[in-house]
Amino acid sequence: MGKVYFSTWNGEFINNINVPEEEWKESAYNLPAQYDSHRESKAFIGWDGVALFDKDVDVIRLAMEYAAQYQEYSEACGRCAPGRWGGRILYDQLDKIARGEGCVSDLEHLKEIGKSMQVTSKCEIGKTVPNPIIDIMTHFESEFLECIEKQKPSRHYHNDVSYIAKITSPCSDACPSHVDIPAYIEGVRDLRMDDSLMATRQTMPLAHVCGRVCPHPCEDACRRTNLDEPISIMALKRLGADWETDHGYDFFHPMQKKPLNGKRVAVIGAGPAGLTTAYYLAAEGVAVDVYEELPVLGGEVAVGVPEYRMPIGKYNKDIECVKDMGVNFIVNYKVNADDMRRFENEYDATMVATGTRISKKVYCQNERADIKGYWGAIDFLDKVNLYEKYGYTISKEEQEKNLLTTDFVDLTGKTVVCVGGGFTSMDVVRCAIRANAKKVYMIYRRDEKTIIKNTTYEEYHEAVEEGVEFLFHSAVAEMRDEDNILKSLLIDKFELVPDPNGGRAELVKVEGASYVIEADYLIPAVSQSADLKLLPPEWEIEMTSWATIKTNGKDYMTSRKGVFASGDCEYGPMTIVNAVGQAKRAASVMSRFIHTKEISLTDDEIMEDHLRKLRVYNKKEKITGWLKGVPRQHSQVLEVEDRKYNNKEVNLGFTQEEAMSEAERCMRCYYIAMVQA
Amino acid sequence: MEKMIHFTIDGVAVEAQKGETILTVARKNGIYIPTMCYISKTSPCASCRMCVVEASGMDGFVLSCNTPPVEGVEITTSSEALNHERTNIMRLYDVNHPLECGVCDKSGECDLQNKTLEFNVARQNFSAKDQLRPLKKWGLIDYEPSLCIMCEKCVHVCNEVIGDDAIEVQFGGYKSTIIPKGSDVLDCTFCGECIAVCPVGALTSSNFKYSANAWELTRIPATCAHCSAGCPLEYETRHGSINGDKKIYRVKNNFEFSSLCGAGRFGFDFENSAKKDDKAFTNAIEALKNAKAIRFSSMITNEEAHILELLKEKLNIKLFNEDARKFAAFMGSYSSISGKKHYSGSLEGIKKSDAVIVIGSRIATDNPGVRYAITTASKHNGAKVVYAHPLEDVLMQNVVTQMMKYEVGTEEGVMVLLADTLLKNAELTQDERAFFDDLDLGYLHAETNLGDEEFSHMMKSFARVKKATLVLGEDLISHKRSSNIAKLSALIEKYTNFSLVVVPRDVNTLGVSLINSLERDEETLNTVGYNAKGDFVISSIGGGDLDIPSLNQQEGTFVNIDRRVLPTNVALPFHGYTLNDIAKAFGINESETVNYTKELKKDAGFRAVSFDDLENYLGTLGEDNRGYILEDVACKSDGELEELDDMPEFNGTVIYHANPVLQFNAYTNKTTQLPKDDYLRGSAQFAIAAKISDGDLVRVSFGQTTIKRVFKQDADLKGTIALNPVYDLDLDSSRYRFEKSKIERVINE
Repeated sequence: MGKVYFSTWNGEFINNINVPEEEWKESAYNLPAQYDSHRESKAFIGWDGVALFDKDVDVIRLAMEYAAQYQEYSEACGRCAPGRWGGRILYDQLDKIARGEGCVSDLEHLKEIGKSMQVTSKCEIGKTVPNPIIDIMTHFESEFLECIEKQKPSRHYHNDVSYIAKITSPCSDACPSHVDIPAYIEGVRDLRMDDSLMATRQTMPLAHVCGRVCPHPCEDACRRTNLDEPISIMALKRLGADWETDHGYDFFHPMQKKPLNGKRVAVIGAGPAGLTTAYYLAAEGVAVDVYEELPVLGGEVAVGVPEYRMPIGKYNKDIECVKDMGVNFIVNYKVNADDMRRFENEYDATMVATGTRISKKVYCQNERADIKGYWGAIDFLDKVNLYEKYGYTISKEEQEKNLLTTDFVDLTGKTVVCVGGGFTSMDVVRCAIRANAKKVYMIYRRDEKTIIKNTTYEEYHEAVEEGVEFLFHSAVAEMRDEDNILKSLLIDKFELVPDPNGGRAELVKVEGASYVIEADYLIPAVSQSADLKLLPPEWEIEMTSWATIKTNGKDYMTSRKGVFASGDCEYGPMTIVNAVGQAKRAASVMSRFIHTKEISLTDDEIMEDHLRKLRVYNKKEKITGWLKGVPRQHSQVLEVEDRKYNNKEVNLGFTQEEAMSEAERCMRCYYIAMVQA
Repeated sequence: MEKMIHFTIDGVAVEAQKGETILTVARKNGIYIPTMCYISKTSPCASCRMCVVEASGMDGFVLSCNTPPVEGVEITTSSEALNHERTNIMRLYDVNHPLECGVCDKSGECDLQNKTLEFNVARQNFSAKDQLRPLKKWGLIDYEPSLCIMCEKCVHVCNEVIGDDAIEVQFGGYKSTIIPKGSDVLDCTFCGECIAVCPVGALTSSNFKYSANAWELTRIPATCAHCSAGCPLEYETRHGSINGDKKIYRVKNNFEFSSLCGAGRFGFDFENSAKKDDKAFTNAIEALKNAKAIRFSSMITNEEAHILELLKEKLNIKLFNEDARKFAAFMGSYSSISGKKHYSGSLEGIKKSDAVIVIGSRIATDNPGVRYAITTASKHNGAKVVYAHPLEDVLMQNVVTQMMKYEVGTEEGVMVLLADTLLKNAELTQDERAFFDDLDLGYLHAETNLGDEEFSHMMKSFARVKKATLVLGEDLISHKRSSNIAKLSALIEKYTNFSLVVVPRDVNTLGVSLINSLERDEETLNTVGYNAKGDFVISSIGGGDLDIPSLNQQEGTFVNIDRRVLPTNVALPFHGYTLNDIAKAFGINESETVNYTKELKKDAGFRAVSFDDLENYLGTLGEDNRGYILEDVACKSDGELEELDDMPEFNGTVIYHANPVLQFNAYTNKTTQLPKDDYLRGSAQFAIAAKISDGDLVRVSFGQTTIKRVFKQDADLKGTIALNPVYDLDLDSSRYRFEKSKIERVINE
């Protein structure tokens, strides 16, 4: 939100032409007026309009260059008649005028073609490219006419001007990994699953995982929502990966692995962030060693997310795909501070991606770790998954600690109480059901609506179906034990009291409503914190107030040069897709850092951040050109009796027919944004 | 029954099923919406944008080809605004399109030409810089990018119907073009389907190019004579020169709904151009008088088969045709369990399946029609495809979801294991159940080399299957244990949701197997060969003792894999004698061969329909109106499963008789355009085992036969089985295709 010379962005109309600069009005939007630390933007042009930050912009050339970008970004275009020829005609005609050879009828042709593109193009890119061009032609008509009448080139036609463009879409913008969603959906629609998969893997190596257990923030930014319901974006991702696995193909990598360049990187942690860093660095020709504390690869998705949601066979395919890029893995190796010091000499850079594996306390009375039956969610899920997925049994000592009589988690006859509200707690209660618990409670401070918002409707609904009892507006007040063995819990009830001043409603304890429930286990799954003992204290690596590693969220280098951090240990407990997105960006920064020892972002990454700030998705936009009410497809889910006591994958995924119907709903909302810097 | 969606198009009340789009419903109801890129048999390309329509309550235009209707919506297909945009699209298509219609192969049948006229685009309204786009020569196919309108039809059929996935769009906006996928040159099976679907002159047959104008050619609807798929095609003929003989210039097909392989499309000039020879005819009559038997091939019409049967009775001689005899025996065993004469599946059924099991066939080259049906099922229904064979086939990798690699010769074991798996929960009779209970599964798993886990994996992948097809190939029909194999397949068909398709080898194996009473071939003296070996040879391919017309010179019918009785017609004249002339010489009097069409055996399912009453076309929505489907006939079901035989062992260098793509038999071998790949192909491992290397001339001995071939090491093959072509050999076609062989390098010869 800053002063602009001229703007038609998103329907606003700011015209400061002939107005002194100090009186310029401000735009209502986060337009990228500052391109980066050393460059100001002179203009921004995109799907929704044009903004000028400087009086001296050659608008004719700006329009022409924008049309040229449409030719450049052809991977998203050239797929329909209006776009392919129309786009070229726009460019040719604008260039003709800009170089001083135009005639008045060219303006008519431009408008005519522009209009046809707007109504008939296949993708939004073809529909929207004419928008700012027509805006410019309308509001700067005199400049065009002058060039035409005098047959002279436009203001800066022969000067060196730098333009930086990027293609985006609302869904890709909202995806923390910026997956090229329209491309992988197009692959499904065209029945070219290899193309679909490779589109995903450009920025997301874990196609099986994020086709199954992603909370899909993209779907909240799906433009189709403005018309009827969002596209089932996540479920369509799985198609390509399943196809590759089913047909036994070698891995389809979207890039050619570069020859080894002599540089080495250490990655600590083989979870989503570690795997992602390794994949993209290895592709760049870097020798990558990944150190993993556990005996198995995959991090929390392997030992945290249960088999019925994320079959390990499928996850292992994603991991193999990373291995196939030539990554070296070292398991059963817990990296300590001495190792870190050593790595600084042995490697050109280090990535810390150790996640958050310490379960936080619930903060109730008598909350003591030595009470048997008090069992951290992360450890609980480790024990369940290491057995169910890999066959690792539980030692006698650990059995005793957790009141078990078998070498795997068998909760027959036991009452389990989980405190949480996020994905981890859902995994805990549903695993407890599968471990045959007599009764499973979920204690949550807030209401049903919020738990759905924090997880997914499906996840909550399926847990209820399987018999989990949710106690909303509740919190554990006290653990009651006998001889250090948990017996029961005192539960407080809360209610939401609206703020009379219109502020945020507050949870207030309902006096006299507290009650006691019998419990054999209390499993805190409120949140997790990072174990960062591996960071040498003398490095004094800067931390956030959440006790995670601090970076600027753009290049992911820590305060220690050459040490990077991504995933949950940087952000705090968050999603897989967030970890992948961070790690993908970090890998890109590291791939340059190891050569130059400098931190840099590519133009594409700078634009990515600008657009994220501006926000690509506009939930108020009216959709035209699509038929409303074509229903969203839902994939089949195992019946509750077929899934409750086993680890069969609950969600069966789309059938081909469902997938194609769903893919046809995608409106391919590609846009081009361009900055004149 | 799914709920129907009710809506209107141009005020007409119509309804749609789930899966139908506005465009498909409009077409069904005879309402015209113009398109340039739509093709019924693939997913919508959605590139031309011509099919936009208006929808009530919605601003802007909606694409009709990929939008399903919603309840109550009112669709308008024609308005001034729509026409304006469609006209603009046509103007764009015409920008810089070379004005060379006069020398373009497509002229006269070009969609761009037609639509340009329809929308009255008389001049180029917009300009864009032209670009240099040189012609690409891809063997049998030429690609002219400057004529290409980037509709993407070719890419869609290649991937979704054929399965080659050999071409793709190279994205580049205005510069977009079609390129071979993952290779510099086109590496595909050269079906030519891309040529067929190309709406303009961009993809053309390099052989046909510049040889005739579309409007000069006469179209003769016929049935492809190369394999049992019996694909519909049209021979296009014209005089070859001034006063010259009639010639087939090319073959075309109704690509909107059906497909052709390259042999069908490019292998059309197998006619017999011999002149009338009275002496030879007299000799033939004489030979038949003295004959003890007629040996014949299945590459004949039903009517010829019928006449042979009449001759057999008249002359009291035997008929030999091992191919058809074994097929008949197989189906006989099948009937003894199923209680009916014909299997239930079809190509259309395969296309609709979501699970397919193929056993005992190198199906992609044995019967491309089946391959295309499986590709369609795989792509459009996500079908799980289990491919059971001792050899992988790289052409099938695209669609196969599970390879079951069994040991050569153990087909009976494979079928038993499969039946045991599929029939686990079936309500079998006590005897049938006892058969399975008594099996020594351990032995079978070990001998076939198919583990228990492979079958459980298969069942897991079939969890959501609604419609399945079991496809049985030649290796099962020619197998020593074919009878039991047939019975097991009948059992599977009877008790599960599997349909059954048994792939007949030749174009009319099925027809012959129903019409003729055949006896086991024996080396008898005085055998007359009818398109087969004999002491006196009557041949449609030429070079025999008497010439007869080839299958593109005859009218008559075939029975294809779908059990459909298909008419074929005379594309080229034949000036000599026919089998009917011979029959007449023996007092079997019918003026025309096709007079026998209505006489074909009723108890085999044929109908009393005369040839001229048989239709030969696909309807506007793709309905198959060709000929008729054989009636099913009830049979006695008194068969019993047989005790299993010991599994044979095939060690050492084994060869598998399998033709390369585009070749089937002596007729395809005779044609001029089809490549004649006659290498013995084997893996690196085979080369080591046989002590030969790539490029060696080798002597291959199997059974009583010795041939010479050049060995080609093929990176796509594995194991110690080599592929030996048979299209150029005069072999008994019904033999079991795996043979132990002796391979020697030929030195200094």
